[in-house]
Amino acid sequence: MSRRPGGELASRPLHFIWIADASGSMQQDGKIQALNNAIREAIPHMKKVADDNPNAQVLVRAVKFSDGAQWHISQPTPVADFAWNDLPAEGETDMGKALSLVAEQLKMPPMSERALPPVLVLISDGQPTDDFDAGLKALLDEPWGKKAVRIAISIGQDADAEVLQKFIAHPEMKPLAANSPEALVKHIKWASTAVLKSASSPAAGGTDHPDASPAASGSPVGVAAPGASTPDPNAAAGGTLNNAPATGAAVPTATDPADDQKTVDDVW
Amino acid sequence: MTDTTETVTDGQSSDAPRDTNGAEANAAQAAATEAATATLPNDAAQSAEVTQTTKVVTAPSVDGTPQPAPVSDALLAARAAAEWRVIGETVPGASHLRAGIPNQDAILHVRQSSARLPVIVSISDGHGSNKCFRSDRGSRFAVRVGADLLDELINGRHAALPPTEIEGRVRASLPAEFIKRWRAAVEADLKREPFREAEFTRMIERDGERARRLVEANPYLAYGATSLSFLLTPAYALYLQLGDGEMITVSEQGEIAQPLPEDARLLANETTSLCLEKAADDFRFAVHPHTAGDLPALILLTTDGYYNSFSNIAGFHQVGSDLLQMLRDEDGFSTVNRSVKGWLEEATTAGSGDDCTLAIVCRMDALKASPSSGNTTSNTETSDASPATPTESAPTQTPSTPGDAPHSSVAPDASAVSAVSTSASHEQSATPKTD
Repeated sequence: MSRRPGGELASRPLHFIWIADASGSMQQDGKIQALNNAIREAIPHMKKVADDNPNAQVLVRAVKFSDGAQWHISQPTPVADFAWNDLPAEGETDMGKALSLVAEQLKMPPMSERALPPVLVLISDGQPTDDFDAGLKALLDEPWGKKAVRIAISIGQDADAEVLQKFIAHPEMKPLAANSPEALVKHIKWASTAVLKSASSPAAGGTDHPDASPAASGSPVGVAAPGASTPDPNAAAGGTLNNAPATGAAVPTATDPADDQKTVDDVW
Repeated sequence: MTDTTETVTDGQSSDAPRDTNGAEANAAQAAATEAATATLPNDAAQSAEVTQTTKVVTAPSVDGTPQPAPVSDALLAARAAAEWRVIGETVPGASHLRAGIPNQDAILHVRQSSARLPVIVSISDGHGSNKCFRSDRGSRFAVRVGADLLDELINGRHAALPPTEIEGRVRASLPAEFIKRWRAAVEADLKREPFREAEFTRMIERDGERARRLVEANPYLAYGATSLSFLLTPAYALYLQLGDGEMITVSEQGEIAQPLPEDARLLANETTSLCLEKAADDFRFAVHPHTAGDLPALILLTTDGYYNSFSNIAGFHQVGSDLLQMLRDEDGFSTVNRSVKGWLEEATTAGSGDDCTLAIVCRMDALKASPSSGNTTSNTETSDASPATPTESAPTQTPSTPGDAPHSSVAPDASAVSAVSTSASHEQSATPKTD
């Protein structure tokens, strides 16, 4: 008997979504170009991670927000085919609308129950100019929004750390502060590789950020593996345990030496 | 009588200490437990071995199975005599192999030597989290505890209860007792082998120092696992589940049904778990009393690594209807039995990458003819009219290996399944996978 029972076999989809600030302030001090460069530079590393785990199908998209929010790359694109088109920067900072757009795509369908946790990377240098809370609520009301690995990168001193923290929605996780193009590259690369690897593989080991502080050496939002007697908020809230091993990518904090806002390398 | 045979190949198994002093324990249960344990090899001695060893336990025959009022004695007798077989296999995940992680699933099948009811199957998925670095042991404890509890249910003082009351008994005590015994097994294992610094070191490399604090605060976390257990008697079917995984039934017409309600929390690799504080509250279970003609042809139990390997849930459900057809082919049972390991390996490779476990409980009289042939047995009262008589043979003492003779559909005592994986033993694929 050569026939196999059941339908088509497939690796599990992992949706990776950049949520990028393309407001006018991103024009200042070359921030938008630094972001474009950083994402473009990260793509080969993402491909390498994806190649290393054939059991996850990494699908990449991007949302931009300025005056309103639009899909910059709307189709879930296999990472092997993914190319980054430079974002222009102008207008307001309608971050809430961007989260609403993402929330729409995290409904089931189009998402399937068998997907791996989506990775959402929010990058911003400013304060929302729209109803951020409404967008965040729409996102977190979706089961996949709640379960997503949510990473936030703040660019420069004017970024609104409070709203980025709300997006992360995890008391032990902090936004990653990027005060220089180099720091931005580092964080983008980390999100594109270590976090991606953690979220995508049911068996590969997680990777700590090289600068991760002990306090941040937990798991990304929604992927912690708490014991019942631990104070981990995921355990208390959901009563569930993450059973994937690779979800322990620790998130660096603003206390990382390279990101310390007092370092001489800061340019933003 | 000692015509119930359990063949287990979990060489590292460490049975949960049995609590015969609990509220639900009584003399009959204790006696049954004692009888069962009396024939077990010394687990302490076994625990040092990683090799697979067959255990044989005794238990009362089906003569003592309950006889609920709605089903006639004649029907019960026919069902008690009907032939059921189990095919089961577990394989390490493709991504586990790449990462050097053992198969953390486990499977255990307890059955009669004569391929008759009752049938008990228990499977478990040890969590892949770095913090759950002993989950391969946790899953073995889980299948043992699940099988023991269901065995006691039909052989203890509740044996005579009708299905409607069984449900109440299960609700009242089984989840709590399950957790109690599983934790006791973990504690005994920790006493024998406390956490090693190397285990912590490996975990900390991946998850950071905080992980150590979490595990030290809750040592059960290191053993975290799910549990799916199934009991089939002539009078009822019992499905008991904690965490992810699927149990489905397949009718003679190939229709798929899910006996348990969905748990919306089981998403994105997150699951309820034996290791969590309120685990007893998270069990889902169902007792389905049989009425005339409603017995499924197949019951499938699987861990999430298998069904997540299909592009959608319909593709997994198709496994049930496809298997029914395949099993009805000439020599279908033996062919499926030989093929299932390869199918699971193909699934994990092309699909989820996770450990894959599948148990197929087969009502043999339902496999004799395709519905299209017009010869389908539609009423189980006639199901025992002409079952293939299984070959009676002595219980298997050692598991076969992949190179052994093909699994025979008439070798009921080569039973069980089991396959318990450990870091030191990846040979679970060598275990017999069928009765």
